[in-house]
Amino acid sequence: MDAVQISHVTRTFGDVTAVDDLSLTVPEGSIYGFIGPNGSGKTTTMRMIVNIFYPDRGEIRLFGEGTPQNSTDLIGYLPEERGLYQKMTVRALLEFYGELRSGRNVKREVESWLEKLDLAARAADKVETFSKGMSQKVQFIAAVIPEPKLLILDEPFSGLDPVSAEAIRSAILDLRRRGVTVILSTHDMNLAETMCDYIFMIFRGRKVLDGTLSSIQDQYGDDTIRVSTPGGFPAVEHLPGVEQIRDLGQVQELRLARGTDPQEVLRTLLAQARVTGFSLTKPSLHDIFMRIAGPAAAEVNHAHA
Amino acid sequence: MRMHKVLTIGKRDYIATVRTKAFLFGLVVAPVIFGGGSIAMSFFKSKPDLNDRHIAIIDRTGVVADALVNAAKAKNERELFDKKTHQQIVPRYVFEVIAPDGDSKDQLLALSGRVRRKEVAAFLDIGKDALLPQKPVEEEQPFGSATKTDPATRVSYYTNAGGIDELRGWLTGPINDGVRLARLARLGVDIKSNTGLMATVPVEGLSLVERDEKTGEIREARKRSELEGFFVPFAVAMILAMIVMVGSAPMLQNVTQDKSQRVVETLLGAATPLELMSGKVLGAVGVSVTSSLLYVVAGVLAVNALGIAGLLPLSIIPWFYAYLLADVVMLCAYAAALGACCSTPQDAQNLAIVLLMPCLIPMFMLVTVLRQPNGAMATVMSLVPPFTPILMLLRQANTEGVPAWQPWVGLAGVSLFAAATVWAASRIFRVAILMQGKPPKLTEMARWAWRG
Repeated sequence: MDAVQISHVTRTFGDVTAVDDLSLTVPEGSIYGFIGPNGSGKTTTMRMIVNIFYPDRGEIRLFGEGTPQNSTDLIGYLPEERGLYQKMTVRALLEFYGELRSGRNVKREVESWLEKLDLAARAADKVETFSKGMSQKVQFIAAVIPEPKLLILDEPFSGLDPVSAEAIRSAILDLRRRGVTVILSTHDMNLAETMCDYIFMIFRGRKVLDGTLSSIQDQYGDDTIRVSTPGGFPAVEHLPGVEQIRDLGQVQELRLARGTDPQEVLRTLLAQARVTGFSLTKPSLHDIFMRIAGPAAAEVNHAHA
Repeated sequence: MRMHKVLTIGKRDYIATVRTKAFLFGLVVAPVIFGGGSIAMSFFKSKPDLNDRHIAIIDRTGVVADALVNAAKAKNERELFDKKTHQQIVPRYVFEVIAPDGDSKDQLLALSGRVRRKEVAAFLDIGKDALLPQKPVEEEQPFGSATKTDPATRVSYYTNAGGIDELRGWLTGPINDGVRLARLARLGVDIKSNTGLMATVPVEGLSLVERDEKTGEIREARKRSELEGFFVPFAVAMILAMIVMVGSAPMLQNVTQDKSQRVVETLLGAATPLELMSGKVLGAVGVSVTSSLLYVVAGVLAVNALGIAGLLPLSIIPWFYAYLLADVVMLCAYAAALGACCSTPQDAQNLAIVLLMPCLIPMFMLVTVLRQPNGAMATVMSLVPPFTPILMLLRQANTEGVPAWQPWVGLAGVSLFAAATVWAASRIFRVAILMQGKPPKLTEMARWAWRG
């Protein structure tokens, strides 16, 4: 069964169309990554699934025939704009959110999650005494108590240190193993590549990518090579047949012009530098993102407009 | 609407509010603000200025001053000292009779100088024809006097005392007694052997006579004081207004704070806007009922302690609570809608006065309504839903009572209005709660309430 089925949904705010005729299917038990530039419509889409915004047109179905209106108890939601009652203790706050969603006592789950995210020792402290990272962990727990069928996380890793990020990442994967469907938005393309089963990109309110990472990469072909040379970026700067270079520091990612033979590029490179690494790859998600929404794409789009 | 969500939100808000110092402070401070004036007045009344009050009299009739001097003597003997403690409790009145010098303006100026130098508290100028009936005149009056009567028939009282002048209030009686006695004497009445001519007859205020329902006997009317007619309804209405304001005012800040602290979106992920707003209103109702219990219990104990328990019509307590609930629900929903439109606590502060209007307007009308509790204006205004709770309760607490249908119609009106407010406010709340930036205009709010 599909956890979420969005059919031809449009949502406008005054003259601005935030989401334009969007259709999307999220399979149950998957992790679905929402990517897109700021203001592209990710949060609006999530808010419509959570029933905070209502679509102007189209419909959203959850777990078959459910609607956002009658399914809020099945959904855990971590909004992008984090906010907690500052004067409450962490334990009281989490019990409140859990009770609000489930209508039952959730003390046991609260203790278990506090333990899991290493917050048990601070459970009796007020939220106002917490750092940003710790508050974010608390907010994450608030979204997963009691365990939802669908977990929607709007940029769950922003502002987290690596240790906290790893704890949240591990908790998300654990929930997915238990059958929870996860939708998360992120600006971290590496994280989307490694964590998500499916990736959906929205740009200016319209869907521009949707599928598994490999299916998306297949759409863009094998036009990317990665090379390492002791000379770094200057060594590859003027290679013929290279359309764009992305300098990653120790590695340079080269996008080849249509019809260019990678072997020819390698030969030219070997003739002018010592090559310590060479691999033929599919374009990264970052590269694809930039092709769609980067400054160059904006120029093209502007020209087409 | 899922009631467990409403209850959970209401419970949290209730606990969060009653635990705050602001709530506890408000419980104490509100009665002090409302009742403090009268407490201060009674305190200062019990600490009067006991310096002698010297009053100069120019008696152009030649026969009234003696009556005033005698009346002051009698008053001093009667009231100067407390009969039990023998301590002086009121100032002594001392009259100084001054012969008119003919040129009244110079003499008046000189006496005014004495008042300014505080040698005398005031002076009286009794016109030469004061014993004659007052005659209206057309020409302009001296010293800008508004009274269009012949100056010679007037008694003029000159002073620079501010505020409530007890001396002037007391003088009216003895002056008129003196004038009337002089008139009687001129008519040949022997006033020396008829000492009781000016004795006053007390007018006793009584309630209506009624039949005892159990025994069938006609009960004697009981004594009525001004307290019963004014103080009790006034106090009951003020207590209601106070509790409603203490209960509903925090809602505006509460919602704005939830919005500015970004708590709202998390809550809206678990509850609909209507559930969220209803929960918040429920919490505020709980806060109001808590403070009302405190005030009502304290009020009942206070009237018992003062021995005026019979003046408090206990039958209005159910009405008090019915109006309280409707008023708090109405104002809290209104506050939630306004709060949702604010982005910062400053925005909320600016709107606080708008929120309190349904309480403040009837409070300004309390005295007017009490003067004629069943007049056309009192009746109409008490049936206007936002004002019904305070004004109808005020009228019901008055001994005159109101026609039986009016409280029911008023309650029905205010209940319907409260329900409509909740409905409209929830629509505004839903649209505005996630908006940031400039607060919306009134027309936009009206459009959201209409279209949702």
